[in-house]
Order: sequence, then C-alpha cells, then structure tokens
Amino acid sequence: MSSHSLPAGFEALEPFVARWAIAGSANRAQARSDSTAEERQAFFDAARDLLTPAISYLDQKPLADFTDSEKRLMDLMLSYAHVALAVEIQGEAEPKHARFRQRMIITRSPADVS
Amino acid sequence: MNIETLGFKPPEDLTAWMGNDPIPTAPYYDPEYYELERKAIFMRSWLVIGHKCEIAEPGSFIRRELEFARASILIVHGKDGVIRAFHNVCTHRGTQLVDEDCGQASSFLCPYHRWNFGYDGQLRAAPELDRFSVRKEELGLIKVAVDVCGGLLFINLDPSPQQTLQEFLGTFIAEGLEQLPVARATTFSEYVYEIDANWKMTYDNFQENYHLRFIHPSSGLATFSPENPYGYPDNYGFYGPHRTQTIWSNPTPTIKPVQGEMFQKTFEVLMKDGLLGGKHERDYFAIFPSFFILGAPSTHFSHMVYPLSATKSRGVIRLYWVGEDDSAAKRLAREYGMATARDIHTEDVDVITRGQKGLNSGALKVMHFQALEGLCRHLYLNVNAMVEAYKAEQQQAGAKA
Repeated sequence: MSSHSLPAGFEALEPFVARWAIAGSANRAQARSDSTAEERQAFFDAARDLLTPAISYLDQKPLADFTDSEKRLMDLMLSYAHVALAVEIQGEAEPKHARFRQRMIITRSPADVS
Repeated sequence: MNIETLGFKPPEDLTAWMGNDPIPTAPYYDPEYYELERKAIFMRSWLVIGHKCEIAEPGSFIRRELEFARASILIVHGKDGVIRAFHNVCTHRGTQLVDEDCGQASSFLCPYHRWNFGYDGQLRAAPELDRFSVRKEELGLIKVAVDVCGGLLFINLDPSPQQTLQEFLGTFIAEGLEQLPVARATTFSEYVYEIDANWKMTYDNFQENYHLRFIHPSSGLATFSPENPYGYPDNYGFYGPHRTQTIWSNPTPTIKPVQGEMFQKTFEVLMKDGLLGGKHERDYFAIFPSFFILGAPSTHFSHMVYPLSATKSRGVIRLYWVGEDDSAAKRLAREYGMATARDIHTEDVDVITRGQKGLNSGALKVMHFQALEGLCRHLYLNVNAMVEAYKAEQQQAGAKA
C-alpha cells in the first residue's frame, strides 16, 4: 500500500487501511469479529473525528465516480460502522456476542452490488 | 418532547380478552404437533417468500427451497408481465428444473430429457412427445398460488387456497403494508440464521419486550427510560390471526456519540428521499403465521421464520431500502442499520436456544404469558385453533370414507 492511499486530509487513517479498508459487508463484519479489542479501540479513536468529514468529502460525488483512494476511504468508514458498534454499544459484551453473531450469515447488502 | 408519552401506561388491558390460562408446552417441541401445524397452517396459508424487487425485470425468476414442504418453488416474472409460481418439478419424471437461486429465463429446460417449459408453465416441446400417451396440454408445470401485497411476494401451497391473499390479510393489514417503504423497495440487506428452536419459540422472542432490558441492556438503551423501563409498546391491534404493535417513542433516549452521528446521517438520507413521516412508521405488522415487518423507515426490517422441524427453524431478516445506494452517506447509513439490527438479533440467539432446550424434556407441562406477552398468546391461540379445526376436518373426512 502506498503512503498516499487515501484522499488528502485523511492521512491519519493510513495505518488502518491494511486492516480495515475491506470490500464487502460480510467481510467487514467478519473483520470486526476477528479483531482484538485493542485493534478496534485504536481504529475507533483515530477515526472518531474523521467520520463526518470523510462522509461529507465523499458525498461530493456519486459512488460510481470514486477513485481508488476514495473507494478505500469509503470502505474504511463502512468498517467503522461495525467497529463503532463493537466499541461504543457492545463494549465488554463484544467477545460473548461475536460467537453467536457468526450464526447470522450476511447474504446480501446493497454495498456489495456495485 | 411528545407530551403524550409522559405518564406512559403500557397497553396491558388490550390483551385481557384472550384470558390468562397457562399455555401447554408440547406445541413448542412435540413432533406430532408440528406435523399437524405443517399441514393445518404452513401447507395452506399465504406465506411471504420474497419481494417483487428480486424479479423486477420481466423474464426473471427466483427459486426458493421450502424444507417444511420438501418443496422447491420457482417464482417467475413472465415476459408478459405476469408473476407466476410453480413447483420446480418437471412433469415428466419429477426432475428439478432449475438449480440457480435466481436468473433470467424465457423458458425452463429439464436437464434430464430436455423437456422445455415456457415462462407461463406450459410444456412447449419435449423430444419424442408422440411416444407418450398423454397430451402436451396436460403436462404444464404444477402451479402454486402467488400474489403480491406491499411489494412482498406471498405464495400458498394449497392447490385451492381457501382465501385470496387480500381476504387473508384483511383491509387494515393489506392497506398498511401498501403504505410502508417496503411497497416501493428496490433492494435490501439480508442475513439468515438457523436455530435449534421451534418456529414459535423463535418468533415469540420478537413479539415481546419483557426481555429487552435483560438481553439488550446496551443495544436497547435508546428504548429505555424511567417511565417505561422495558421499552413496552404504546398499543396493540388484533386483526384476525394477524396483529400489530405500536412502538413507543422515547422522548429522552440515551444515544452514544457515534451512534448519534450515524442516526443523524440516516435521518438526513431518509428526509432527502421523502421516507419520513409515514402513517405506520412506529407500527410493527405481524402477519400470521411467522412474518413481521417494522414500519420504521430507518430500521425497516422484516423477519420471516420458516419451520425446519419441531425444534429447528430458520430466520430470514431483511432491511428493505428504497432506491440504490447513490451516496456515501446512504451507503454508510444502510451498513450501520444492518449491523445494528444484526447485533440485536445476535443477542437473542442464546436465550431462544436455551428456552427450547429447557422445554424439550417435557418436564415443564405449561408456560405462562403475562399481559404484555399477549402477542405470543395470540399466536398460540390462532395456531391451536387451526390445528384443532384441521383435526376435526380430518375426523369428518375419515368418518365419511
């Protein structure tokens, strides 16, 4: 991964690209379940103040016109949706529920269509 | 703040008409009872099997496997615009015609001896047909009754359904469904689970809020407040075998920071798409036997529970969306919405399974539903009435024979 894999202004998220810029809703959900609490917390903290700026930036053009770096930023933010639930809502209950969550198999998501 | 919710009183009086008798447990684990339910209910009720957006284009089809019926069903949007359903069975010697989950087809060709059926189910051609002593017109695919309401595809496996779909749903439910976003949905998120629990055990979990505070202490936080600590609904409605509940609107929800940002983005997206403010956005429609949909446009999810055996079932959960993803905010809102619903459903899996394990020995003869578990009671009473009617019907038929 190059050091400029994300759009300008989002350099702080570069360390998280390899772990969290993932295509596919089911793959993102799986990454959440496979990660450690420390990995989730680090990503949660780093992107906490960049979520809204990232979406505002990406909302300037249609999804279909995204460059590779914009797609990466989008995928990062979509992973953030899963990670935020783990950190902010589930907290200490996350490992207990991860086991049962495996049973809920994601079979379709509009994010996977295009 | 919504003034009406101050001094909240749950709708417990609305279930009193059903009485408070203990409920026998055998219907929740006994294979013989399940077999009666299968025949009395699932083989002759209208059942949700999909959505019309799955076969939006004329010439498209979907295949659905229904284990409880040992059946494979094709739902076909014909080139003539008509939606039809058939058993996925060649009328020659029974070979399954299609093994793709979905696709485009102007005809269906049996892989075995190349019998060819049109989208209307008629046998078009078969090699050496003149060697058979049966007329081509008699060899069309076996039809299954199919109809649409609120965009949802319903089928009925009874060769001669006793009611039309509209009669079955009744005016209130049918009109309600038509007013929900699902009626205009063009796509959906879906997740599926199999669980070692009777279909009613699975379904009932989602019909009562008594468990919310204990099983969903974090994910349900926004639902709770001092005046309504269990997040009980505002209202119940009963419409034949179907039922509704109206979600209580919490005036002082506890929202986490990122959750709040996600809600805000969801709200903006829905606002832009004109999906807010629907008449039924706090209503939950439970359609007999085992389907429900929540009217809320932000978490517009449906849940269909298919029985697999007396003690096993499959849940199919869908979040229906109007329009394809066309912006980052919309895509994010949908991803967060699905992941949120999936988390909540995940939290239920363990207790549902434990409930079933506890019943299976038969040691517990009866169970108890409180007034605010009245929707569970309503399901049981309707199921049992249909099972009893079926038994009486069989006895009568036996007496005549």
